[in-house]
Amino acid sequence: MTATVLRPSAAPPAGAPVLLRLESIEKAFVGVRALKGVSLELLAGEVQMLLGENGAGKSTLMKILAGEYAPTAGRIVVRGREVAGLTPDSAKALGIGLIHQELSLVPALSVAENICLGRMPTNRFGQIDWKRAHELAAEAVGRLGVAIDPGAEVGRLQIAEQQLVEIARVLEWNPEILLLDEPTSALSDAERERLFAVIRRLKERGVGMIYISHHLAEIPMIADRVTVLRDGSVVGTILPDEADEDRCISMMVGRSLEDQFPKPVVAKGAPALEVAGLSAGKTLQDLSFTLHQGEILGIFGLMGAGQEEVAAALFGLQKSRGRIRINGQDRGIRTPADAIAQGLGLLTRDRRQSLVPMLTVGPNLSLPWLSNRSPWSALQHRRESEEVQRYIADLKIRPATTTTPVRFYSGGNQQKVILARWMSSGASILVFDEPTRGIDVGAKADVFALMGDLVQRGMSVLMISSELNELIGMADRVLVMRGGRVSAELGRHELSQEALLRHAS
Amino acid sequence: MASQRSLPSAPGGAGTRYRDLLLRGGPFIALVILCVFLSMATPHFATLDNMFNITRQSAFTAILAVGQTFVILTGGIDLSVAAVAALSACVTTVLLTTPLVLFGYDFGILPAPLAIAIGLGVGCACGALNGWIIARFKIPDFIATLGTMTVLRGVALIVTDGLPVPSFQSMSSGAALPSALIQAGSGSVLGIPISAIIALIVALAGFYILRYRALGRAIFAVGGNREAARVAGIDIGRTKIMAYMISGLTAAIAGLIMVGRLNSANALMADGEELRSIAAVVIGGTNLFGGEGGVIGSLVGAVIIGVLNNGLNLLNVSPFWQRIVQGLVIVLVVIFDQWRRRKTAGGN
Repeated sequence: MTATVLRPSAAPPAGAPVLLRLESIEKAFVGVRALKGVSLELLAGEVQMLLGENGAGKSTLMKILAGEYAPTAGRIVVRGREVAGLTPDSAKALGIGLIHQELSLVPALSVAENICLGRMPTNRFGQIDWKRAHELAAEAVGRLGVAIDPGAEVGRLQIAEQQLVEIARVLEWNPEILLLDEPTSALSDAERERLFAVIRRLKERGVGMIYISHHLAEIPMIADRVTVLRDGSVVGTILPDEADEDRCISMMVGRSLEDQFPKPVVAKGAPALEVAGLSAGKTLQDLSFTLHQGEILGIFGLMGAGQEEVAAALFGLQKSRGRIRINGQDRGIRTPADAIAQGLGLLTRDRRQSLVPMLTVGPNLSLPWLSNRSPWSALQHRRESEEVQRYIADLKIRPATTTTPVRFYSGGNQQKVILARWMSSGASILVFDEPTRGIDVGAKADVFALMGDLVQRGMSVLMISSELNELIGMADRVLVMRGGRVSAELGRHELSQEALLRHAS
Repeated sequence: MASQRSLPSAPGGAGTRYRDLLLRGGPFIALVILCVFLSMATPHFATLDNMFNITRQSAFTAILAVGQTFVILTGGIDLSVAAVAALSACVTTVLLTTPLVLFGYDFGILPAPLAIAIGLGVGCACGALNGWIIARFKIPDFIATLGTMTVLRGVALIVTDGLPVPSFQSMSSGAALPSALIQAGSGSVLGIPISAIIALIVALAGFYILRYRALGRAIFAVGGNREAARVAGIDIGRTKIMAYMISGLTAAIAGLIMVGRLNSANALMADGEELRSIAAVVIGGTNLFGGEGGVIGSLVGAVIIGVLNNGLNLLNVSPFWQRIVQGLVIVLVVIFDQWRRRKTAGGN
C-alpha cells in the first residue's frame, strides 16, 4: 500500500487486458467533422492521458464513449465485445463512467441527492431514507479526502467543491472504465493531489482511465501513456518520458508557434481606451489601464480573478463604476448601445451569447446597426447584402451562402461572423473575451490572423484570455489579475508561461 | 463528381430553396388539403357564398393573431388579447351611446371617429401596460398577461355596468351605433366582406413591419436570442413594449369589428378568443419559443381554424365532437410542424 503511494505512477502490469478499443470512430455534426477516424486502446489499470487543443475532439470522443452522442461511423469494443448503439444507460451498465467537464449536477438539489440521484436509498415503506443517503454521500466525498456537507445545495458550493461532488458521484457506482474530462481545471494543488491518490488506488483495482487535461505538468505525475488528438484525428501515442512540453505542444498544434500566431509589428498610436478605477460585480476592483491604437493588450487571470467581469463592465452589460475615456474624451457607458456608439465591439466568451441562431449571416451581421436608431427606421437591406458578400469573401466565412442559419456554422466561422459584425458597425476598439474557446486549430489561426489585420488597420484589441499560449503569441502587453486586481503588467519580452502563472496565483 | 455529391449534406446547398418553401409553405399546404377534402365531402363547401362566410368568420381571429404573432416572435405570449378587444369595444360603444361627463363638463355623445380612435388608443395603452410590466418587473409574459386579462375584463364590466351596449335603456332613447362601424363588421364590397379586407390590410402592415422596419428585425432578434440582442445594443424592454402595443392595437381593431358584426358590445364578449389566436399563430408555423415565423402564416392559421369550423358545421358534426376535432387538429398540426422542422433543419 505505502509502496505504491510513494511511486508516482505505477505502470499497468505487463500483458494487462485491453479494456476498451476504439476503431476509426467518426463523428460529424452539421457542418463540422469533429472526429475523423479515431482509434485507440485502453488497458486495464492504465491512465491514458488525452491531449489536444480546444476543439480537437476530446470531449466529443468522451461523450461518444459515455453514450451521449452516437458515432457516425466506427466500432467500439469493450472487453473484446463490440458494442453498438451505446446509450447513457448501457454505457453505465458496461461500467463506463464519465466525469464531465461542464458539470452534470443538478444545482438545486443537495450533495446527497446528486450523489444518490436515481438510486436513493429507501426504507421498508418505500420512503427515502435520508439518513442513509447522507451517510452514503459523506462516505463518497470522504474517499476524496474532503468534507462537504451532504445536505448543502450544490448550486451554492464553490466550483472546486462541485467538481469534487461530480467526481464522487461517478466513482460511487464503481466504473471499470473511467473517463475524466479536465477534472482538475478548478481544483487547487492539494485537491488535485488527493484526486491523484484516488486515481492511483483505482489503477490498482484494474480500472482503466482516459484522462483529459490541459496541464502538461500532470503528465509525469499520473500518465502511463499520452495520446494526442488534433483536429479530430489521433496524431500519436507516446510514453511519458518522451512527452516533454515542446513535443506535446508541437503535436497538439501541428505547427510552430510563429505560424500559429502571426503577430504583426505595429507602431503604438494614441491612447484609444483609457480606463480608470473600473469596478464591477463581486470580484473586479479598481482596474486601470490604457489601450493604444494598434495595440493588443492582454488580460490574464485564473478562474475568479476578475477578468471574467471586464468585458461585461466595459460593454455596459453589467453595472460598473469607474471612468472610461475613449479617444481622449470621457464617455459614460451604461448600455451596450452606448458602447457601440462609442466604437466598441465585443466578441463574447460564449458565441451563443452573440448570435441569433435561426437567422442567417446578414441579420446577425447588421444587428448592431439597429442600436441607437428609431424602431420605425427602414432596414438597410441593400447595404446588408453588399457587406455580407464582402465579409464572406474577405474573412473566408464558410459555408459561403447567405441563406443558411448561423447555427449550422462551425465555431470558427461563427466567430468570423461576429468579427465581421463589429467591423461593419465601425468599431475601432474590439474586446475579445476568450476568442478561441471551442474552435478548431485552423480557425484559431484565422482568428489570430484577423486580429493582426485589425491592429494593422489602426484598431485596438483588448484580449481577455486564459490560454497562455495565445497571450504570449499575440499580446503586446499583458495585465495579470489576481483577486479582482491587477497584480502585474508584463511587456512582450517578459511574457512566459511561468511569469504569467506566477503573478496570477 | 464524388465531392459534388457530398456537398449538399451541408445546409445551404442546392436543397435550401426547396426546403425553405416546404418550411414556410407548410400551413398553406395543410389548408389546401383541408379544402380539397371538404369540397369532396360536401357540395355546400366550395361555393362563393360559403367562402365569403368563412373569411368573415375568420377575420376576427386573424386580426388578433397578427398582433399575437408579434408577441410570440419575441418569445412572449399575450393572454389578454380577447379582454383588450372587449374593453376597447366597450369603451367605444359606451362613448357612442351615452353622454360623456368628465370633471363636470358634459361632452355629450362623441363623434364616431373620435370614439373609435379612443377605443384603439385604449388597446395600445393596454398593450403598453403589458409590455411595461414584463420589461420593468421581469415577470414571465404568461403570468403578466394572465393578470391583466382578468383585470381588463373587470374594467370592462365597470365601464359597461355589466350591461350590453347599447343597452335597452339607451336604445329606447334613440342611441345607435354608427353605420360605419356596422359596415366594418357586416358590410361587404363586391361580395367580399369588409372585415376580411381589414384583416388582410392588418396582416400586410404586420408583414411590412417585420420585414422592412428595424422594429421587426429587433423582434426576431429578441425572440431568437435575447442575450445576443442585448449584446448587439438592442433595447429589449422597448422592443417588448412595442410588440405588446401592436398586439393591443390589433386586439382593439378586432374588438370593433366584432361590435360591427354583433351590433353590440359587452364586457364578456370574445370569450376564449385569446387561445384561438394563439392556436392560429402556432398552426401558422410560428415558433412558440420565439424568433421564427411570421404573420402570413398566422393569417393562414386563422383561416384553417375558420374552415375547420365551417366544414364541421356543414358536415353536421355535433358541436360536442367539434371541440374534440378542433383540439386534435391543433395538436396534430404542431406535431407535423415539429417533425417537418427537424427534417428540414436537422440536415443529416
